[in-house]
Amino acid sequence: MIQNKLSFHQSSVSLEIIGLPDYSNNENKDQISIISQWKLTIVDKPLIEGKFEHLGPIMDAFYIYSNLLIKNEIPIYQSKLIDIKADNLHIHNIVLKSSKANVKPLVLKIGNSLLSDTINCFDQLNESPKVRIKKTDITYNIPKKLRFGLNNKVKFFNVFIPPFIAICSLILFSSSFIYFYSPFENIEKKELINPE
Amino acid sequence: MRKSYVNNNIKVNQFDALIKITVEMSKYLYPYIREILKSKEDIKENSIIWNDFNKRFIELIKERFNADSMRVKKLLNQSENGEIIIKSLLILSFCISNKGHQKLKNFLYDF
Repeated sequence: MIQNKLSFHQSSVSLEIIGLPDYSNNENKDQISIISQWKLTIVDKPLIEGKFEHLGPIMDAFYIYSNLLIKNEIPIYQSKLIDIKADNLHIHNIVLKSSKANVKPLVLKIGNSLLSDTINCFDQLNESPKVRIKKTDITYNIPKKLRFGLNNKVKFFNVFIPPFIAICSLILFSSSFIYFYSPFENIEKKELINPE
Repeated sequence: MRKSYVNNNIKVNQFDALIKITVEMSKYLYPYIREILKSKEDIKENSIIWNDFNKRFIELIKERFNADSMRVKKLLNQSENGEIIIKSLLILSFCISNKGHQKLKNFLYDF
């Protein structure tokens, strides 16, 4: 069966996606839903290629790293597949680890221009109506600082919101009784009627 | 920060429109933005592009911004403004896709 091939280009970077349409989903012939292979070509750098399950984590790594770089967080991303670390604000160190045994990791140094080209290639792929990327289940390590922040937000809401709502509802419920019922006034009235 | 003494808050649709104009401009100017970023990667070889850009940036800041403000003074200081300029250029270069306006909005909300 002939496989479909789609290319996305941005200046010095190009991304090639090879795969097949999902015929069980009544997709067009030129659609790619089952990705069999992808290739990322960066000018003057070794070719990066891999299986479908590696594409998602690598794209996520680039997106998370670029966000960290801009938001003044520590720009370090580490996972089983890829490590990205900033040498300085202009040069970024990428370590691609092979899933095959006895293969040395590939080390690349790219500048901001190549980083933005790569991000733009991934954006083109994400926005392309001809390629459908299914989310993978592979987990990756978000840097500790970021992970701590995310967990904190979730914990804060889980711990404080339910008691807060409970206290608010108690106050509202009991305040209605305070407003309508005043026992002292009734006693005084009775005393006035029967002054013994 | 601007020289204007009138502080008007812009409406949401005006903000969205400004974001869309900025993204369209970044798409058009991407090759130039890229070259400026590249010139800073190897400052020995391409210092002319970076110096020209920085000079023009400072000229425009002096022309339109209130130079008495401490934040503006920081922008005018050539030894301190590098990081701000690089990050701003990076944000623009990351937002040139079709959904770039949404991305730029998210970056600005988080900034």
